[in-house]
Amino acid sequence: MEGFIATGLIGISLGSQYTLLALGFTLIFGILGVVNFAHGGFYVMGGYVAYYCSAVLGLPYVVALLIALAATFVLGWLFEVLILERVIDDHQATLMVTMGFYLVLATGILVIFGAESPEFSFPISGVWRVGDVYFPYANMVVLGACLAAIVFVFWLVYRTNVGRSLRAMAEDRTVASALGMPTKILFPFAFALATGLAGLTGALVTPILALAPHVGDPVLAFSFLTVILGGLGSVTGATIAAFIVGLIEAYAAVYLGGSKGALTLFVLVLVILVIRPQGLMGKEVRRA
Amino acid sequence: MDGANLTRGDALRVESISKAFGGLKVFHDVNFTMPAGGLLGVIGPNGAGKTTMINIISGRLPPSSGRVMLGDTRVDSQPVYSNAGRGLVRSFQQTATFNDNSIEDNLLSAIRFSGKDRSVLERLAVLLEKFGLVENWRRDANLLPYGLQKMLGLTMALATEPRMLLLDEPAAGLEKSERGNIDDYIAFAQTEFNCGVLLVEHDMDLIKRLCPQVIVLDGGKLIAEGAPGEVLARKDVIDAYLGGSDEEDDHAQHS
Amino acid sequence: MSNATVSRLLERRSPFFSGYEWVTLALVLATFAVPFLTVNPQIMSQTNLILIAATAALGVYIMLRMDLMSFAVPSFMAIGGYTVAILSIRLGITDVFVLAAAAFIVPALLAIPLGWLILRLKGVYFVLVTFVLTEIVQLLLFEAAPLTGGANGLVGMPAVKIFGFELWDNSHVLLTTAGLAFTGFLITAIFTRRYRYEFAAIEKNDVLAESLGLACWKYKALAFAVAAGVSGLAGFALVNMLMTAHPTSFAPMSSVNYITYTIVGGKASILGTLVGAILLVSATDYFALSGELSPGLYGLLIIVVTLVAKGGVIGMLTKTVQRLRGRNGGGLTNPKPALAEGKS
Ligand SMILES: Nc1ncnc2c1ncn2[C@@H]1O[C@H](COP(=O)(O)OP(=O)(O)O)[C@@H](O)[C@H]1O
Ligand SMILES: [Mg+2]
Repeated sequence: MEGFIATGLIGISLGSQYTLLALGFTLIFGILGVVNFAHGGFYVMGGYVAYYCSAVLGLPYVVALLIALAATFVLGWLFEVLILERVIDDHQATLMVTMGFYLVLATGILVIFGAESPEFSFPISGVWRVGDVYFPYANMVVLGACLAAIVFVFWLVYRTNVGRSLRAMAEDRTVASALGMPTKILFPFAFALATGLAGLTGALVTPILALAPHVGDPVLAFSFLTVILGGLGSVTGATIAAFIVGLIEAYAAVYLGGSKGALTLFVLVLVILVIRPQGLMGKEVRRA
Repeated sequence: MDGANLTRGDALRVESISKAFGGLKVFHDVNFTMPAGGLLGVIGPNGAGKTTMINIISGRLPPSSGRVMLGDTRVDSQPVYSNAGRGLVRSFQQTATFNDNSIEDNLLSAIRFSGKDRSVLERLAVLLEKFGLVENWRRDANLLPYGLQKMLGLTMALATEPRMLLLDEPAAGLEKSERGNIDDYIAFAQTEFNCGVLLVEHDMDLIKRLCPQVIVLDGGKLIAEGAPGEVLARKDVIDAYLGGSDEEDDHAQHS
Repeated sequence: MSNATVSRLLERRSPFFSGYEWVTLALVLATFAVPFLTVNPQIMSQTNLILIAATAALGVYIMLRMDLMSFAVPSFMAIGGYTVAILSIRLGITDVFVLAAAAFIVPALLAIPLGWLILRLKGVYFVLVTFVLTEIVQLLLFEAAPLTGGANGLVGMPAVKIFGFELWDNSHVLLTTAGLAFTGFLITAIFTRRYRYEFAAIEKNDVLAESLGLACWKYKALAFAVAAGVSGLAGFALVNMLMTAHPTSFAPMSSVNYITYTIVGGKASILGTLVGAILLVSATDYFALSGELSPGLYGLLIIVVTLVAKGGVIGMLTKTVQRLRGRNGGGLTNPKPALAEGKS
């Protein structure tokens, strides 16, 4: 029973991480109509920036987090404006440039930091214990930070004027710009927000999971899983799906072992894509 | 080919068709019949559901309820290509051609996909010449003027040797001077191919000129039916038309 | 009178193969000569790798005829490769013709029900589902250990035989690969040309094509099956070269490589896929000292081609040749190999 609860906690904290990744991914798809293959790259970059700031420069971890967020936000903004915007109407081209950018980003990190995993561990250690249920403090802090970030994103999307504009642009890009919304700023903002979230997640999570140049690959795969399950472009769907994915993964790892959990998830998602391409919460399939 | 080919005696019967998109009810319980080889005009303000009606008859969209019969064959909810194989072929409100392909390749594709023989081009020669398609034979479709693209699309539909044509605003976007082409086209389809024509159109002069019979769709209902002269004089029909008349997206344009 | 006009217009017949197909097939055929011209193992293994890469990338090329970007190549390579490994190790079947037929047919048959399921999806959704598929196959290779050997893979494949003659040394392996590659290229060339009208129509406007009577799904499913089969041949060549079938040979991310070959070489013609594979595999080799750099190079090239040279290498060459010749380029220098060949 204790194991069951502890596994559930792990599942929830995984779910909160996936939510942060998936929210960004789904925002980009919903608003720009782009599948961002570079998403995992920003996650890795966030991890390395945080590592460099805290472990190499000796800055406090919180500052390192903010720098990681800022760096991935800025790079995302630049990428959107300089590259993505030029091919935004051609879905295949957007796929190619984000994929290309991921390769460049991952290779750049490899060249700068090397292939070895650096020493990067969470500044807080220790384990919270009730009865026989254990939960590391580090995971608790990450969970709290992720939940706070999720609340912030929901507040931004559903309670602010910026969010209203973003949602209007997700409905129809041309109409939104015809209505005088500052799309020239809002599109890169949306992209940068998403990559910033990925970077922040990387900075928070890589010290407790793993940091290496290639850890973006599974991140991309899990972002795919989550947003397909939740419905591409749906913020609520992505959140629910992320927790489902996190819990399934945690329980499957304990009770099934090996990669059966991942296999279960992938097959589940394949089935969902086929019988309900719009996902659990998605609306009509966006005409691609 | 799936199903039997349409014989000359087959009428098109739309039987209490309703259609809703989610909460949006487009129409409810619409009935009409179109005699074989006949010509029926369909009018109605923008958003009345005319294109949706063509989508349902051709099989592109399933109706929410009701059915569409072509002779003894049910055609709603059948694959579009099977219906095309039965001779039930539609045109599109906006230009619809295979971009980056010449007029020749566009026409040859239409012939090939419908399993017909190239000799149909000989039958169409008069039209091809008249519309100016021959002059531009090797030019890519998307580089042609709008009117010519539209005529190419219509001619491609005819190149499948249809028995029943569903035309979605063929004159929309044409210059006044080009509209005579539509008269010629429809006359040709009827005489040369014995083809029935369902004509959705906004150009009232054209409707009056050509159609012995029209139906009016508005507010989700079929509000009038009869000869164009009397139907177009009715007050409710005139009121229905006092709305807008801007062009609408047809969802056929491929991006 | 007008009848005469239309028949005259149709007199010109377009050739079945365009210049691109002829050049491509000739180049692939020429690799049979390599083992007779050199004993340099470096050149032989390089040629081997290029042929395998190019054949695999044909799976991307075929699906791109209909504007579908496929990440599924490694899955079908794996199915082809493991089929061969299982047949030869477990059942002792080593005849190269039997194995090649199995490497093509098994993936192709599996692709038919899969295609039936996923080909309703377009654009982004198709991309996502093929990506997911590749992940699933990768995980299955690890999980289905009794069949696939799990993380150890299947090792110790016997040499294949042709007419009872063992193909065991380096040059034999290259000849086997060349034979498989040529088969793959020939099948692809014939298939994509035979149905070029159908594919071009599905790419340009599938709604219109369907309204004219084309059963689009049949052609998509057929193309998916043929693409799977050709990738399977590449999988055979790969496991034959390594004498091992191992999951890492079919890593999901390698799908990006095959896409890159096709796009950088030029997706409009089959020659593009071959040229892309030649250039990029050679470049990888050239930068071998820092082999880890090649993904970055691929990434950079993908971005550059997408932004400034849409047609890839072959597209640019074609354009240049056309400009030099003026507007009257014909034959090889055709910008649109789909329907528009032979313009004069
Ligand atoms: N695929 C669709 N999904 C949702 N709504 C649609 C779809 N197609 C048409 N509609 C809606 O149905 C109504 C009728 O559209 P349409 O048939 O195009 O009208 P018309 O051709 O008479 O101008 C419009 O309100 C339109 O927005
Ligand atoms: Mg309409």
